[in-house]
Amino acid sequence: MILKVEGLVKSFGNFEVIHHWNLTVEEGEKVVLLGPSGCGKTTFLRIIAGLEKPTEGKIEIGFERLGFVFQEPRLIPWKTVRDNLRLIEEDEGKIKTILELVKLNGFEDHFPSQISGGMKQRLNLARAMVVDPDFMILDEPFTSLDIKVKMEIMEDLMEIWEKRRFTMLMVTHDVKEAVYMGDRILILSKIPSKILREIRINFIRRDITNRDFLGMESRILRFMLE
Amino acid sequence: MRILLGLLIFFGSWLILSMMLSQSLILPTPMETFSALVEILRDSTTYSAMLSTIAKGFMILGLIIAVGLPVGFVMGLSDKIYELLRPTVMIIQSVPVISWLALVIFMWGIGWKGPVLIGFLSLLPISIFTIVEGVRSIDRDLLEMVKVYRVPKIKVFKYVYIGSLIPFIKAVVDVSVGNVWKTVLVTEFLCGDRGLGVMISWARQYVDVPRIYAVTLMAVGLGIGTERIAKKLMSLTTRRWGM
Repeated sequence: MILKVEGLVKSFGNFEVIHHWNLTVEEGEKVVLLGPSGCGKTTFLRIIAGLEKPTEGKIEIGFERLGFVFQEPRLIPWKTVRDNLRLIEEDEGKIKTILELVKLNGFEDHFPSQISGGMKQRLNLARAMVVDPDFMILDEPFTSLDIKVKMEIMEDLMEIWEKRRFTMLMVTHDVKEAVYMGDRILILSKIPSKILREIRINFIRRDITNRDFLGMESRILRFMLE
Repeated sequence: MRILLGLLIFFGSWLILSMMLSQSLILPTPMETFSALVEILRDSTTYSAMLSTIAKGFMILGLIIAVGLPVGFVMGLSDKIYELLRPTVMIIQSVPVISWLALVIFMWGIGWKGPVLIGFLSLLPISIFTIVEGVRSIDRDLLEMVKVYRVPKIKVFKYVYIGSLIPFIKAVVDVSVGNVWKTVLVTEFLCGDRGLGVMISWARQYVDVPRIYAVTLMAVGLGIGTERIAKKLMSLTTRRWGM
């Protein structure tokens, strides 16, 4: 067990956002929290990352190195691609390896304003990777990207995961992303949000036009719309 | 070419206006002023006066950077410190120059210390408040990101704070450089023992109006020159932050 959450409640004043969540994440798992906008998904990730305190409940953390892929890249505009990673890790060899891994080699000396949105998100991913994480949080990382770039990055991320096998906890409101990325999908309700259902994905998902993939996608969609 | 044309328009208008007024006591012609300027530049004491004014100006700028930036930074970081220090800074901002003048004359008499202190106190509040605004406008998302990755504080200061504050530091330098010579000249005029302000004071006593205009031209040249140098230095310094 790398993460265990028991009876988690988060309120902002009298406004309850998260209502008694219980979940466990095992080492090497890819868990996706799927829910509508504003249901507390990001708040939950912020609690796990130590940026927010829970109102009630218990959280057991079994990871040591956390990687966080933010929804917006949060890059330092006046630092180059390389320097954005140097902020976190000074080992040049490691930086070079990670930049190759996320396909940003050749752009080391570019500033964030000189690279595309997809590349910025790759750098965001590289920053999370450079800490050599045993637990990776992804907060709707593909929201602002077009479908082609989104698919490229998701494929690359899955390849990286195959090599490194870190635990992943991702939140999204996009069913396709959830089915593509997750081993396990937890479907959330509107606020005060509850975990409504858990779905395990057991088929090979690299092809989003695959019948199983589309079937699962429509099954989840139907459930969410009910 | 455009600059030359602009200068030509300026001096042409000056010439026409002075000829229309035909009163050297109010507005001497550019020729009278330049003749006074040549005379001044032939006198070796002019250069020591100019150096004295420049030294005071740089001392004030140095003090503004050494005191204003760190104080503004700390006030921007902590609301408690801001509330504690804000009244003092606001009082400094509101005290009229003439009151400081009386104080420094009682403390040190006529000399270089008065102009430096008054210049420093006049420009300090605006530099502090500019940096406070800069610190408060730092991207909270970046600060959260460094918190998640547990980046050491010294690195956060170097990578995030300094970089975010560069435009505000530039603004402080721009405003200070733009105003420092005016302040130095006024305070030299009132309580200095050497410098361009003192030269204007003497010229006033001798009712030598062309000389006043000539020294003023030197001060204008000094202001424009320093502004250019400061901008160049700032752009060289900030290039490493990719700005």
